[in-house]
Amino acid sequence: MGDTDEEKVWVLQSRNGDPAAFEPLIRAHQRMIHSLTFRMTGSLADAEDLTQETFIRAYRQLDSYQGTAKFSSWLYRIAVNACLNWRQRETRREQVHKNWARASTSPQMKTKPFADNDEVSQSVQAALMKLPAKQRAAIVLTVYDGHNHAEAARMLGCSETTVSWRVFASRRKLKRILSAQGGRDE
Amino acid sequence: MNNDDLDKQLKAAQVPPLDEDYWESMPRAILARLRAGPINRPAERHWFPRLAWGGALACACLVIGFAIGHWHGQLQKNDTYALLQNEKMLREVLTLFPNRVRAIVQNEHGMQLVLSDQADVPASAPLYVHICDGKQCSSLVTFSGQELEIAGQKITVLADAQGGIILEGNQFVWSSSAQNFAQGGLKIEARRLSSITL
Repeated sequence: MGDTDEEKVWVLQSRNGDPAAFEPLIRAHQRMIHSLTFRMTGSLADAEDLTQETFIRAYRQLDSYQGTAKFSSWLYRIAVNACLNWRQRETRREQVHKNWARASTSPQMKTKPFADNDEVSQSVQAALMKLPAKQRAAIVLTVYDGHNHAEAARMLGCSETTVSWRVFASRRKLKRILSAQGGRDE
Repeated sequence: MNNDDLDKQLKAAQVPPLDEDYWESMPRAILARLRAGPINRPAERHWFPRLAWGGALACACLVIGFAIGHWHGQLQKNDTYALLQNEKMLREVLTLFPNRVRAIVQNEHGMQLVLSDQADVPASAPLYVHICDGKQCSSLVTFSGQELEIAGQKITVLADAQGGIILEGNQFVWSSSAQNFAQGGLKIEARRLSSITL
């Protein structure tokens, strides 16, 4: 989706210091950003924090948006960086890990954040959370959001080769983890 | 499991659905945070970190400058004293002013060449003398028999037949062979630069 004329006007008005003009931009892109941040964190609360953080950073950096890239791509890049620079991501990742581990044994935990019958989503998210953040970002960008490796490389600030390697390594780990989980379920 | 199977399984995982109220409240929460922010405009917001970085950089440059200056000063000081013992330089000066060089003096004011009006300085081995009076130091290269103004007093520098050096001032006599003669808080070092011949 390219930037619409309406979107360009909103960007211009926001850049001139009108936060109200930023609201339609938030409404247009909040689900996409939230989806990304949830995949990256595995936590609805953290996803909400990072989504808000992404839009706040975007508003404050609007002067650096040249308009050469799509606004959504520019916003996406900010969100990816916010996720990668997530302050206590390692600590929280361990905590989320533990939560997911408990979820597999505790019936009470299965209700959050997924519905009881969504065991696939739960096990996939648990597997994603076992990846290092940069590998997880590579999978989210390429598999879930359909970016090619070149686009993902620009968003992650690394080379295309690095993205390809991260995707390859991530796939290998995910296959191993999900196969092991499938074996246990059976 | 191949890549296609993996992708299907990954894509089957849904993000937990959230109700419309959530999506309605999100923009309001973000705008509230934006409006509550102390400074919203990028140009105004960025000056402080830049100023802080600039200040830090300036301080770092000053510290480095002082360090280099101090080091360079030390080096220069050492170099000038070394210069007085530079055989080539001494030969050139003595060749340029034959029998007229009474002394080459180095102190905190720089280097001075003390020349005689006439070519009456006898040719002999140069003598290196370093004198400190507690406040300042002077180094010089001179010849036996010269009377010079050093450390605020007139001092005659003499060389004996055994290669020793004697310094005679108004209130003291110092000998390289009997250094306990020194008085008046002077610290003296002297030796013959025998390798330099004219």
